[in-house]
Amino acid sequence: MYEYSTIGWLKHCIFHPVEGFEDLRWKKKGSIPVAITIVVFLFIAMVVDHQLTGFAYNMNYVKVFNVVPLLVQSVVYFLTWVVGNWALCTLLDGEGTFKKIFIYSAYALVPYIVCTFIAVILSNVLIRDESIWIVAVQWLGMGWSIILMIQAMRAAHQYSFGKTLVSMVGTVIVMLLILFLAVLLISLFQQLYVFIYQIYTEILYRVRG
Amino acid sequence: MSIRKKIKRILTLALTASLCSVMTMTAFADEPYNSYSYDSWEQPVPSQSAYRISRTITGYELGLSQLRDPSSPFYVSDDAVITLSGAKDLFCDEDAREFWIADTGNHRIFRTDEDFKLKGVYYGVSGKSEINKDEATGLSNFNEPMGLYVKTSMYTNEKMVYIADNKNARVVKAKLTTGNTLELVEEYTKPEKGLYTQTTFNPSKVIADNAENVYCVVTSVNTGAVMFARDGSFTGFYGANRVEVTAKVIAQTLWRKIASNDQINAMERNVPAEFNNFDIDDEGFIYTVTEKGNTSTDAVKKLNSAGYNIWNNNSGNEYKFGDITDAVWDSVSNKKHNKMLTDIVVDKFGRMNVLDFETGRVFQYDKNANLICIFGTKTSSADQRGSFSQPNAVETLGENVYVIDGAKNDITVFTTTTFGQQVHKAVNLYDEGKYTDAVPYWNNVMDRDGLYTLAYIGMGKASLNQEKYTEALDYFKTAYDRKDYDKAFKYAREDFLRDHFTAIIIIIAVLIVLLIVRKILIHKGIIVIHERERI
Repeated sequence: MYEYSTIGWLKHCIFHPVEGFEDLRWKKKGSIPVAITIVVFLFIAMVVDHQLTGFAYNMNYVKVFNVVPLLVQSVVYFLTWVVGNWALCTLLDGEGTFKKIFIYSAYALVPYIVCTFIAVILSNVLIRDESIWIVAVQWLGMGWSIILMIQAMRAAHQYSFGKTLVSMVGTVIVMLLILFLAVLLISLFQQLYVFIYQIYTEILYRVRG
Repeated sequence: MSIRKKIKRILTLALTASLCSVMTMTAFADEPYNSYSYDSWEQPVPSQSAYRISRTITGYELGLSQLRDPSSPFYVSDDAVITLSGAKDLFCDEDAREFWIADTGNHRIFRTDEDFKLKGVYYGVSGKSEINKDEATGLSNFNEPMGLYVKTSMYTNEKMVYIADNKNARVVKAKLTTGNTLELVEEYTKPEKGLYTQTTFNPSKVIADNAENVYCVVTSVNTGAVMFARDGSFTGFYGANRVEVTAKVIAQTLWRKIASNDQINAMERNVPAEFNNFDIDDEGFIYTVTEKGNTSTDAVKKLNSAGYNIWNNNSGNEYKFGDITDAVWDSVSNKKHNKMLTDIVVDKFGRMNVLDFETGRVFQYDKNANLICIFGTKTSSADQRGSFSQPNAVETLGENVYVIDGAKNDITVFTTTTFGQQVHKAVNLYDEGKYTDAVPYWNNVMDRDGLYTLAYIGMGKASLNQEKYTEALDYFKTAYDRKDYDKAFKYAREDFLRDHFTAIIIIIAVLIVLLIVRKILIHKGIIVIHERERI
């Protein structure tokens, strides 16, 4: 059977949506460093899309640049996806391990990242009348990545097609739950912090007399 | 220390102190508001004042004391009111350079020259009207005249005065006689036709077009302006507003689909807000303003003779008038305001001045609805000149802007500053399409106010006309004008491709050749690729 380099396996997965991830699983391939690099590139793609899109296309508010929302939209969402999917599919007889889900999901994101970069470059050379090309590239990247993601999850958990779709929708719900709880936790801790800080100030005033 | 030195010291101190007080005095004579405008992000930014307050005109300055002076031709009686009261309208007759003032609370009308020297006082019209007849003088007296319009008739070449005689439920068309009286020509009263369903007819504003069709805004009629033909017959309604689409309206529309007839009858009806004031320009376009608080649909409209709104946001453009809601920029009261646009006037350059009753601000736009400047304010605690209590009407003559106040009973005259003059010159040339001619003025404007967005757009268009595309791109980028940037970019790209055509072709050719050579070499086995790397 196939024998590829690390990058070669990535290409194989991307260009063979039907059996690529199955082969990856069979051969027990897939590298964590590559997956992490992809996630980092996802974040970079977000920033590039926000900052370097051609002026005529860039509708973002550029007076202030805040990197935190972009970080949340890329890295945090991805990690929640992995955690959510793992938590859900462990209960639903999925065979995927946390590591596998992380690697396969990251591999599936590559078309989206590449197409985002291409769209940014195109937006700097095309005028608005020709925007159809940019939209086409963006949809291509999105669609391809979604197809790859479905295949990746199917291969990771050894599900049927229908069950994969159900598990993915479930994962999105789990993601929302996780994020909601996270926000709740943060705000609670913030109040706790404020409370402790107030006690500290109070004591400070008393001590000083 | 000698006494001389001491005296010297005291003198210097005194001089410094007096100088200081003089300096604070000049600061105090400034406008009682901070000038601002809006940037491309629709956020308020500080700006230079384009207008300053020149003077205020009260009854005294108008020379109303002549009404009590038996030797004066304007003598009325010894106890005549010599102030304005609740004045609702001010009209400028630009050809004759005359002002007409509707002194609503005192039921009379004044005519003055451009320096507000009294030229005529009118309590009513002579003629065969039976409404509100005064037995003593034989005139048909006015009762709270609220709107005024003056136009020289194309048919008879006489000066026609149109008066919205609110409490008398009529619109008067009178001609100015040589004896300085008003003589009734036509009286427009409540239409008896079935189309007019209101029980009252209280006209508040009036205009007339070149064919002497009369349009009047009637209180509580929301189907548009009531329109009369020259002969006095009612011809219909003109230019109604649309219903503003809010969440409530959408919800009601859905409910109506499933509710029974009884339920529908019990529901609140969604009716459009009526427009409260209008003006007509030389080309016959009618501009309307809607006063209802914070209205965004049809706040200001430019209607053609068919009643079609040219400034329609549905056709992809975005026209915004008045303060952009939620924008807080009132250093005096520091609060949010409802927007209540109460009057509009269009001058012969096509510049519009829109008056906001709530904030007392005048918004000036060019003929393409680009914001030029904002000035005026509501009464502050200091009650200074230039701050209004009930700003009722705005008028222009030449470069000047006049605002009449119904509570302070005065007229405020605004004159342009140097900055304002430069902006006007630039904008006029810009609107005529003479972008290059406008450049020196725009430069001057930018020197005075670096945040003036329209200046950058003007400079950008001038550069585009002179085929300096990169410069144009720079200007449009500064102004955040995406549309024009895109246009300039198209030409800049063409230029770039033309200039570098050979280089681009050579690079592409070299790349193709290299790829072919590599393929051949691989085929012949000269370059060996390891099986693992081959994908």
